[in-house]
Amino acid sequence: MAVKKFNKMVNPEKIKGDTRYGDLYKPHGKVRKRREWRGVGDTLYDYSRWLGIMLTLGKFMSKPRNIKFFFRYRWMANYLAVPMMVDRFTQGLRGEYLRMTHEEQDLIIIDVAKLLNTMARADRRVGNDEEFSKINVLVDENEMTAVMMGFPNLKCTSRETPSTYVSVLLNQHAMEHYIDVAQEYGLPGDVCPMPEAEAGVSIDDDAPVFGACAVQCNTTCDGSLLGNGVISERLEKEDGIPVFQLPAPLRHKEDDVQEYAAEEIRRAIAFIEEHTGHKWDWDYYFECAKRVNFATKCRNEWLDMNKTDYPQIFGGNLALYTETNYMAICGKVPEFERADRRLMKLAEKAYKKRKMAAPEYRHRAIVWGVQSHYYMDFLVWLLNCWGIVPLTDMLSCINTEMIAETDTPENREQAYYDMAMLTEEMIMRNRTHGGYKVLLDDLFEFVEQYNADMIILWEHITCKALDGMHGMFEDRARELGIPLIWVDHQLFDPRVVSRQGVRDQVNSYMRTVMQEEPLDPTLEVLDDENSW
Amino acid sequence: MKDLKHLIYFEDLLQEAHNDLIRQAQEEGKKCIGYMCENVPEPLLNLPGCFSARLRAPRTGSIDVGTYYLTSFLCEYSRAILERALEGGYNFLDGMVTPDGCTMLNRCVENMELLNAAGKDKENFFWDYMEIPMKADYNGLNLYVLQCKNHILKPLAEKYGIDVSDEAIRKAVAEHNHICELLRQIGDFRKLDKPTITGYEYNVLCLASYVAPKYLIVDKLEETLEELKTREPDDKPWFKARVLVVGSEVDDTDFIKLIEDSGAFVCADRFCYGSLPGRDPIELTDDEDALTQICRQYMYRGECPRYMNTEKMDGRREYVDKLAKEYKADGIIYQQMKFCDPWAYEKMMGSHILRNRYDWPVLAVDRPYTIGSSGQMRTRVQAFMESIDIKKIQKED
Repeated sequence: MAVKKFNKMVNPEKIKGDTRYGDLYKPHGKVRKRREWRGVGDTLYDYSRWLGIMLTLGKFMSKPRNIKFFFRYRWMANYLAVPMMVDRFTQGLRGEYLRMTHEEQDLIIIDVAKLLNTMARADRRVGNDEEFSKINVLVDENEMTAVMMGFPNLKCTSRETPSTYVSVLLNQHAMEHYIDVAQEYGLPGDVCPMPEAEAGVSIDDDAPVFGACAVQCNTTCDGSLLGNGVISERLEKEDGIPVFQLPAPLRHKEDDVQEYAAEEIRRAIAFIEEHTGHKWDWDYYFECAKRVNFATKCRNEWLDMNKTDYPQIFGGNLALYTETNYMAICGKVPEFERADRRLMKLAEKAYKKRKMAAPEYRHRAIVWGVQSHYYMDFLVWLLNCWGIVPLTDMLSCINTEMIAETDTPENREQAYYDMAMLTEEMIMRNRTHGGYKVLLDDLFEFVEQYNADMIILWEHITCKALDGMHGMFEDRARELGIPLIWVDHQLFDPRVVSRQGVRDQVNSYMRTVMQEEPLDPTLEVLDDENSW
Repeated sequence: MKDLKHLIYFEDLLQEAHNDLIRQAQEEGKKCIGYMCENVPEPLLNLPGCFSARLRAPRTGSIDVGTYYLTSFLCEYSRAILERALEGGYNFLDGMVTPDGCTMLNRCVENMELLNAAGKDKENFFWDYMEIPMKADYNGLNLYVLQCKNHILKPLAEKYGIDVSDEAIRKAVAEHNHICELLRQIGDFRKLDKPTITGYEYNVLCLASYVAPKYLIVDKLEETLEELKTREPDDKPWFKARVLVVGSEVDDTDFIKLIEDSGAFVCADRFCYGSLPGRDPIELTDDEDALTQICRQYMYRGECPRYMNTEKMDGRREYVDKLAKEYKADGIIYQQMKFCDPWAYEKMMGSHILRNRYDWPVLAVDRPYTIGSSGQMRTRVQAFMESIDIKKIQKED
């Protein structure tokens, strides 16, 4: 394999409005000095979407029950930072790029608001709607929700998504308290902070209590598997909520684990039926399967587009949207199919016009590893500061295959294997488990397919599965002569590596190894340690 | 107490991964299959014509190269093993079987494979990886049996012509059980009020049974058992309290020695490489194939924290409570090798539950792979001994 040299591309179109993005940051501040000026049209569009977000938040807070919910749970305060999060992800974007990002982000916000509303209504401590609580099946934060594709009248609810996952996207410091709680309880500080924080929420008794039953999954890693034990201890022993543990095989590429995986899916469905009284609905399953396939088709096309000189849907937005659409939605919400269509239209339009998202594209990078949740918009920074285009990331490199979508007796049997495959190949675990090929070899295949000339390798320092290939990544990149930039971080805990610490790793490499100057020098060092 | 006759012999065996008995067995034409996790059914690697060696990295020094490949966040066991492999320390192996038990061991072996760091120049050398169940039930059992067939028996038969018939498996189980029964009987002396074996001595014997061909240590174990029957304990107990050690991988006898030097007696060993339940005999009946029975017993008795179903999680703590009572422990030490994720969580939960629900004094510690003479650990154990003493006095009052 040979790494192709990439010649710098200059955007023929001038970026309207602000171009020195670092100037918008207020020293030591939580928020920025002012909103970004993007030219008249785009600023008006952005502002209208900002109003839409405020409306979503306002609607949520208009219910007294939700106000009670807001004050009961410590992590709810992070939701004040929703508009700021969108601003971070849209930094420097204009035209179709801005619209695509809003399509993705705004829909995720609406979806999370609905989730919070559900939780507030069902929670024994707040809404205490017992009948409503009975139609909720609890799932993990990082759990594929394929087993819920045949239950049209049940709600698949992840308590950890709003309490930990989204919270840390909104506010970088959101999880520090819960990490400390878990460590005070005796958990070492060297485990992954995501299950650690989730365990901390449970230990702190700061998770809403509701649901007919729960389905836990070993999902991403040893920490995730073991963290579930902390949560189920409280769920089963104190809250009286029955729990089913759904083990997804780790060596998911092997044929001889698939029957085991499919049988666990059958058992999970039987468990849900038993505890909710609802029956599996094949019509609804195949309807969802069609939407899953449509999402897969769109994602495949976007990624194909990113292999060309004019990538359109890429970076942090792609990762976040894919994670939501693939894992949490999994064909169950028609609105996401409509969003996929709109995104496709915008992407095709921009592609035809050969649009570029930044003044210059200097490098084409594959972003690998597990991204920092407290700095998920880092990829936007990478583009704006150094002109490095994040073509795709590890979390977006998921299933590319279609599943059975027509209702036949054979396909009903196949469906269990399809759900098992989707669960086994859930985001992150499809790369961090399953043998070194999917993590190591595939990366360098993607480098070739995407004509990349650089690798950005997120090193989530306590992710043992990734750390365990550290030296091999290094060796392989050196053999191939491709620049590989390590970006260390601690996923949920910016006290270990700050956002500036993350940026400095790239800054140093670009200046010392690549001997380059930044595209926007104002972004090189930012005082955002206290920022949301 | 008078020294055990064969203790130095067994201690010597533990000085090298490639010990004299492995050499002897290979000279006799037997194939040596390496493994690193208690979830690999040992008798299947000890079929006629082959034997198992559970990998250790005794006398570990620098693990810099292991750290380069695996980073400093993987447990030192995996790093030390990789380092030793890169030094050529496992070239004696004829095959390697690895379950996807924990990520770190799995990655360690994958690196060994990528770097061609074991069984060099052995034409039929094989690397095989197994999926093992995460719940103990019928579905897990089906998986376990299939995985053992595909990833242990198949390569053994194809690569080395090993007889993998039911009869051969039963023979291997019989030999395995003989060792287990010997160790169980030897271990029972730890239950005495005045024990005639120390935790350290027992640890040495038990560890040797994992790392050397079993048939070559039977005679020495038999002699040791006879010796213990008449061994006179010291008049005055040499320990302040009896402790049960629970937790992750321990193949460093110095760790047990350090605990005992600090005033405790390690009366029971519930850790990977320990005898509980690792040296429980496997009971076979004639109405079902041996492989299924082995897998069932490994799965149901397995104490690995990766088993995620509630019955297993609760069972782990019940088992510790049962052992503590059976071996008359005064306290429990939950230990975890630093950076071990599964035991980090299990140690946290287990220590809280055993302390609060079962009312045991519990010390929770983490430790490096080789502990040497850590003053810090010694202080922790001594403080724990004192706290047990204080509790005893308070109870008497």
